[in-house]
Amino acid sequence: MDVDEKQIAHLAELSDFALTAEQSTALQGNIKEILTYISQLDELDTEGIKPTYQVFEMENVWRPDEILPQEADREQLLALTQEVQDYQIKVPKVL
Amino acid sequence: MKYIPTIGIECHVQLCTKTKLFSEVDNDARQKSPNSCVSPVDYALPGMLPRLNQDAIKLAVRAGLALNAKINLESRFDRKHYFYPDLPKGYQITQLYHPIIGEGYIELPSGGKVRIEHAHLEEDAGKLSHEGNYSLVDLNRAGTPLVEIVSMPDMHSSTEAREYTKELWRVMTYAGVTYGDLYNGNMRFDVNISIAPEGSTELGKRTEIKNLNSFRSVERAVEYEIKRQTKLLEKGEKVIQETRGWSDATGETTAQRSKEAAQDYRYMPEPDIPPIRLTERDIIEQKGKSGFSVFITRTFLREIVPEDIVEVLLDYPKLGWKLMSINSDYAEQYRGGDEKGPSREQIPEIYSKLKKIANWFSSVLLAEENASLLNDELPSSQQLIDLVEMTEKNELSSTAAKEVFLKFFDPEMHYKDTRTIAKELGVIQENDLSALEAIVDTVLAKPETTKAQADFKAGQEKVLGFLVGQVMKESRGKANPSSVQEILRKKLS
Repeated sequence: MDVDEKQIAHLAELSDFALTAEQSTALQGNIKEILTYISQLDELDTEGIKPTYQVFEMENVWRPDEILPQEADREQLLALTQEVQDYQIKVPKVL
Repeated sequence: MKYIPTIGIECHVQLCTKTKLFSEVDNDARQKSPNSCVSPVDYALPGMLPRLNQDAIKLAVRAGLALNAKINLESRFDRKHYFYPDLPKGYQITQLYHPIIGEGYIELPSGGKVRIEHAHLEEDAGKLSHEGNYSLVDLNRAGTPLVEIVSMPDMHSSTEAREYTKELWRVMTYAGVTYGDLYNGNMRFDVNISIAPEGSTELGKRTEIKNLNSFRSVERAVEYEIKRQTKLLEKGEKVIQETRGWSDATGETTAQRSKEAAQDYRYMPEPDIPPIRLTERDIIEQKGKSGFSVFITRTFLREIVPEDIVEVLLDYPKLGWKLMSINSDYAEQYRGGDEKGPSREQIPEIYSKLKKIANWFSSVLLAEENASLLNDELPSSQQLIDLVEMTEKNELSSTAAKEVFLKFFDPEMHYKDTRTIAKELGVIQENDLSALEAIVDTVLAKPETTKAQADFKAGQEKVLGFLVGQVMKESRGKANPSSVQEILRKKLS
């Protein structure tokens, strides 16, 4: 299965990554390897088999609508980000 | 050439559950400090698992019923991937392949019908504020349950688009699934619009105007877009399929992102949330919990007040419900213990009572300085029923009744019963005949009325008005003028 430079560029854009030419070439090789590995699955005959949404046969796993105290508060969560202003997470300009 | 516009609308409705769709934190982010309603799930810390809120499913079912839609007994969640700072997970949990709400429709008050293609449950993203060269992220809204209602392209004018969005707002607020606070973004609209030459069988290229948050901006944006697309086609140019933003300030739409970088959401089944399987019983249960729909309320109100007033009253769901519940109270009262409802003769009687109440409200609503009163707590059913009774017994004139009605909204007075308020205002009319006769006698004994009495006896009808006025004055406005007139005629004959 071939992966070309255009596909890598598209994936990079979707993830908002800036790749150098070397990184892009290296990724072409890596992703091709991964896809080849995964494509072993194609050898199986899946004719007539329904798509598997999940392997545990569970349904209706839900909780009551009640507010519960959280393990982490705002200060702890905001401490994980690079820059904060007025309790908000500061990010490079988007749009 | 004449061009026909075709419009379809997607509407995001924030559900009014206590907690978010997948985490146990406060879902009502209105007027809350940024990032104060956030859990590690909303923050997308590694290893966090979404925990589905059962009430969000219940409200979605109720929303579906209000849309006259088929509820899908089995529904599933999917992941929609995109990279944007308002979505820390890098994907939104939504329902692409198996939405909970199937085909439905909405009837417009003017008589048209807009079909609903489907509606699905999903989580809202955070809120971004764009400052100079950076943006700020507030995740209070991230994870709020949304029902996204997708209409068929059944609208063909800006007025229809506005009517649809407004009716959708009513349908959702009456169904009790959202606070419907447009200012705080509880309902947001994306409008798809294209134009095609009259008679053409193919639709034109469409543009999508995102994130409109009022009926008025939907109407204006559609108007603008029809003009812009018509101009392009008339010049022989083409409409580009793209997403456009709307500015209320400039009254224009501008290109945001063209479909050149085509969206590639890489949808996949959400492995963290098992499928939802509902039973007919679950649906019947939600049917039972749905209050009076906007359709039923409108049909009822049209029996008692003119159509334009109906539409004004309907803008206040609490008011619509109040009138409906008072109607039930009266029906109960007239039923008098047996199983039958009010008789055919009694119905007009009940309607005339409700008409009085509806008119008090509409007179308040039509006077702009008072309209905001209806956002506060409404008068109780008992207060209103008593007020009707006191006017029917002539204890209150229509002016006095209105005065008492306004006091129902006064924070100092609203908890008092109607009679107490009327007493404190001193507006109860004197109907006790012997008491009235005594007042009339006092007035007739006054020398300044002697001449008028003589004139009246001599056949001058119009001086009666003067005498009634004197009695009214003596009674400090509490006498019932028609009774006074009657007594005067008797005494002066």
